[in-house]
Amino acid sequence: MVPGCSAARDHTFLLLVDQFIQTIVDSVTLGSVYALIALGYSMVYGILKLLPFAHGDVFMVGSFIGLGVLKAFGGAANPTISIWLVLVLMALAAMAGCAVLGVAVERFAYRPLRNAPRIAPLISALGTSFFIAYSMQLLFGANHRTYDTFTMAGGKLFLSGITWGPLHVSLVRIIVVVVAVVMMVVLWLLVSRTRMGKAMRATSFDREAAMMMGVDVDKVIVFTFVLGSALAGIGGVLFSLRTDVYSQMGFLAGLSGFTAAVIGGIGSVPGAMLGGYLLGLVETVTQTYISTGWSNLFIFSILVAFMLIRPSGILGKAEIKKV
Amino acid sequence: MKKSVVTLGIAVGAALAAVAGASANSSAPARQTSGASCAKTITIPLLSVLTGPAAFLGNDQLSWAKLAAKQEGPKLGHTFNIVGVDTQLDPAIAATAAQKVIANGSYVVVIGPATSGGSAATSKAFFDAKVAHISPSATNAALTKSVGGKAPTATAAFYRVVADDSVQGTRDAQYIAGTLKAKKVAIIDAQEPYSVGLADIVGTYLKANGVTVQRESVTNNTTDFSAIVNKISKDTDVVFTPWQVASNAQVLGVTLREAGKAAVVFGTDGTDDPSSFKLAGSFVSNFGPDISADAAGKVYVDAWNKDNPGKTFSAFGPPAYLAAQVAMQAITKACKTNQNTYATRASVFSLVRNVKVANPIYGGAFRFSTKTHDPLNGSFWLFQIGSDGKYKQIGKLGS
Repeated sequence: MVPGCSAARDHTFLLLVDQFIQTIVDSVTLGSVYALIALGYSMVYGILKLLPFAHGDVFMVGSFIGLGVLKAFGGAANPTISIWLVLVLMALAAMAGCAVLGVAVERFAYRPLRNAPRIAPLISALGTSFFIAYSMQLLFGANHRTYDTFTMAGGKLFLSGITWGPLHVSLVRIIVVVVAVVMMVVLWLLVSRTRMGKAMRATSFDREAAMMMGVDVDKVIVFTFVLGSALAGIGGVLFSLRTDVYSQMGFLAGLSGFTAAVIGGIGSVPGAMLGGYLLGLVETVTQTYISTGWSNLFIFSILVAFMLIRPSGILGKAEIKKV
Repeated sequence: MKKSVVTLGIAVGAALAAVAGASANSSAPARQTSGASCAKTITIPLLSVLTGPAAFLGNDQLSWAKLAAKQEGPKLGHTFNIVGVDTQLDPAIAATAAQKVIANGSYVVVIGPATSGGSAATSKAFFDAKVAHISPSATNAALTKSVGGKAPTATAAFYRVVADDSVQGTRDAQYIAGTLKAKKVAIIDAQEPYSVGLADIVGTYLKANGVTVQRESVTNNTTDFSAIVNKISKDTDVVFTPWQVASNAQVLGVTLREAGKAAVVFGTDGTDDPSSFKLAGSFVSNFGPDISADAAGKVYVDAWNKDNPGKTFSAFGPPAYLAAQVAMQAITKACKTNQNTYATRASVFSLVRNVKVANPIYGGAFRFSTKTHDPLNGSFWLFQIGSDGKYKQIGKLGS
């Protein structure tokens, strides 16, 4: 064997390994945001059997609220208080603002149609989605904006982090993943360990029976929207730390969240998390190893395939029909 | 039940998409054949991207065309009004908008559409209605020239006041290979005519000149560039981005820096937006120079600032002033041939080609080529983004 050839082969192999690990890191970052959006879809579906198409737009509003808070404190380059505190305030404001928006959407767009034929709330959800997106466009214009995260703390968010050989996991990616995982753990504890969580599960299982057992279903539904919308709000802020902010961004994000929820098993909280990470993985791997141009085609083909082969998703359970 | 609701959701989405597609392809409405009254205010529609991710360019074009109507109209002895018609970044929406414009018999000439895709999608309808359309920014070479043995994608109704991609692509590639001395270049197109055409021209030139070229593709809606950046090797010198969403170029550049990759981002006119794309060291080529750099151009800039206080404009604006000048001169000539009564579509259609603008916004003189409906001796200019985010004009490309 020629020694030079062996060294070159080893170098190529290391580059491929580096690229693969970086792909996994990228997919976990993207998947974390998708999981946060998918959770809202899944929880609302679980409780109301309704697809909340406006959920992506709530995510977009969260992103804008984050931008508003950032601007209020002087912007990314010259904040009037510590930039880390600004980031925390952006997240909290987005969660609070989106929770209020989610409750308003439930109250005015979904609740009046709760007992209407199934098509009515679906159309109402679509209409609400367009209403929110175009209201934001009228209010703030159509231009893309950014948090200008690259100028925050002298670029520290992007340039510092964990570096291991050629692999670099930036601080902003670590923040996105850690915050998303913490949010999911909190949600999991809320749903599985609290009285309200038990009420949510009961309502999801059988709304009428839960009502007869004394569960305040209206309160449970409102709480579900608060939770789902708050997660979408913080998801919007986390997403926009690495990309831009614009009024129509909710459509594709919502579609991705919906796809993740369906793949994971719509109605299932762990399914939504799994679906989010799987979608992030499929998207990133497709773009890296197959084609960047064919990525969306591939993703939505998977959605169709799931609908045909396993409509209940990976962790969803097929419902038993009473006859 | 679960399956049925989800299936219903997908079906509703598909139905909405089908309805949108059907409306875009609906048959032409009834057309009026009257013209524009020369004695009254003459309205010229401007088809551009007024909403969506590239709305900045349409709003810039509209404000500059309005300034042209205000300043140049009185000199021509007429009162002109410019109205914006939104095409978004979607050729199908442009086609629908064109039908609405054609249906209004008082519109005798059109400024736009702004994009190459929109221009190709509307040109046949404008030709059939004998409405000349003059684009201030559609640069796809195939609109007016035979590319790859195929007929031009636009008709004889189409004109443009800016140089095309074959000029831009070749000059950009010459700069990348010659001045920047790049050995490895990644070219990322955005899967639409303007972007793919420009990417092809640059790729072909670079390959022919011994540069290693990596070709990738995204869409205008792509927001996460991690996977693409992961595919770009550290020894890549330049990433060429012929896109229409400037903030995407910024996100790509930041993602490159995040990954420790030093490749220079080289954008084209679609990414020329100082408010969004401000990554230091990056390049942007555009069909218009910085008109505020000389005294003659500054007069226009001051007038625009007066009408648009507190706002800024990109390089997309000033060419719309020129396109409006061409349209207004053609209408004025058509009025003269008809005793200043009516300007008809047919007369304007035949007169646009011979319009000569003695005092164009860029200085010199403007007229169309005798061979194509492109400007004679059209050029491109290059800018580099400084550490303060400002665009510094490097000079005219290829000169």
